[in-house]
Amino acid sequence: MSKVDLNRIIGKIEDLPTLPRTVLKITELVNDPKSSARDLSRIITDDQVLTARLLKLVNSSFYGFPQRISTITGAIVLLGFDAIRNLLLTTSVYDVFSNHARKSKFNQEKFWDHSLGCAVGAKVIGNFMRHDKIEELFVAGLLHDIGKIVVMMYLPKEFSKVTRYVRRNDTLMRAAEQEVLGYTHAEIGKMLGERWNLPPKLLSVLGHHHNPAAAGPYSMEAAIVHLADIFARALNIGFGGDEKIPPLDGFAWEILKIKTPSVEHILEEMKKEFDDISMFITYTP
Amino acid sequence: MVSADIDKIKPGMILAKAVYNRQDSLLLDAGAKLTEKSIRMLKSWGVRSVWIQGQSPVTENQKSSSKSASASEIEMGLAEKFADVRDDPVMLEIMRAASRVLSKRVQEQVDEP
Repeated sequence: MSKVDLNRIIGKIEDLPTLPRTVLKITELVNDPKSSARDLSRIITDDQVLTARLLKLVNSSFYGFPQRISTITGAIVLLGFDAIRNLLLTTSVYDVFSNHARKSKFNQEKFWDHSLGCAVGAKVIGNFMRHDKIEELFVAGLLHDIGKIVVMMYLPKEFSKVTRYVRRNDTLMRAAEQEVLGYTHAEIGKMLGERWNLPPKLLSVLGHHHNPAAAGPYSMEAAIVHLADIFARALNIGFGGDEKIPPLDGFAWEILKIKTPSVEHILEEMKKEFDDISMFITYTP
Repeated sequence: MVSADIDKIKPGMILAKAVYNRQDSLLLDAGAKLTEKSIRMLKSWGVRSVWIQGQSPVTENQKSSSKSASASEIEMGLAEKFADVRDDPVMLEIMRAASRVLSKRVQEQVDEP
């Protein structure tokens, strides 16, 4: 089987839809230390869909605020800049891909469920470990397999070769990708992330969620997503492209310092939160 | 009815007694016909031996309840998924924890009126 030229993959990534301009503007604003909650609020309220969606999300049981939040400024003050950016990034990325979804025979919804399951898992593990950037972990989990989506949508022929290889050889997606494409979804996802100017931490997690040690300063975040991926598969949340569980990375398990008796508690929490949030993310007005 | 070592059992044999794991959840009900998949599953749960029916054929009325059927489906699915990683003791713990979480949900669904 001939390997796909990296240039071809990059070429396809060049053709990928960009994120909505509002989300890019928001990312810029969040990175600017001089910007205020009012600046951010102004940009969001210019976009009715984003406004409605943001209010719906902050009022969902996912956040569990006791009072009703009715203004964007209120939401920003409560959640913080980063959380808002990540929320909008999440729903926008979902939109970008779901527009193309109908073309694919592959079970797109199950695929997103896997990503969402991993996102929720990263959040729950992060909470358990008292990590201070829970939202970042959520987004990293959500996007960890974005490289698979790129191949599915923009290289459909190669994608079906990959899935055929998975079925015939009963192997992990990444082994099949390496064989058929010469690259894995982790590398492809990182390329896409670079194009979208995603923050370096996120790029590092996308690129190294199967080998967290290589993520250097961000290996803790990569390890969390790595474990969340395993947990999502163990709980049968969605479908990641193969029916297998990737091996647990020894380094990741070591730095996470989670004791095995806590695993059940984390899994229980993860399943509960997934059931709560899946309604909101897949909801399209 | 004979007790058989897990390494001696073969697909097609019929279980004479139900098999439970150490957490007492049902893996396979009495009357289940063993398959390669289910034998692998039993091994991955550390089952050492099982009770096998003599030469008697399967009878129709040995259908298990839906609850135990779905519980053992969960176990079987997990055992299959974890087949390549079960040498890792942490992965085994994760598999067992996931199994408890998922079985609890099945149980709750069945218990609802």
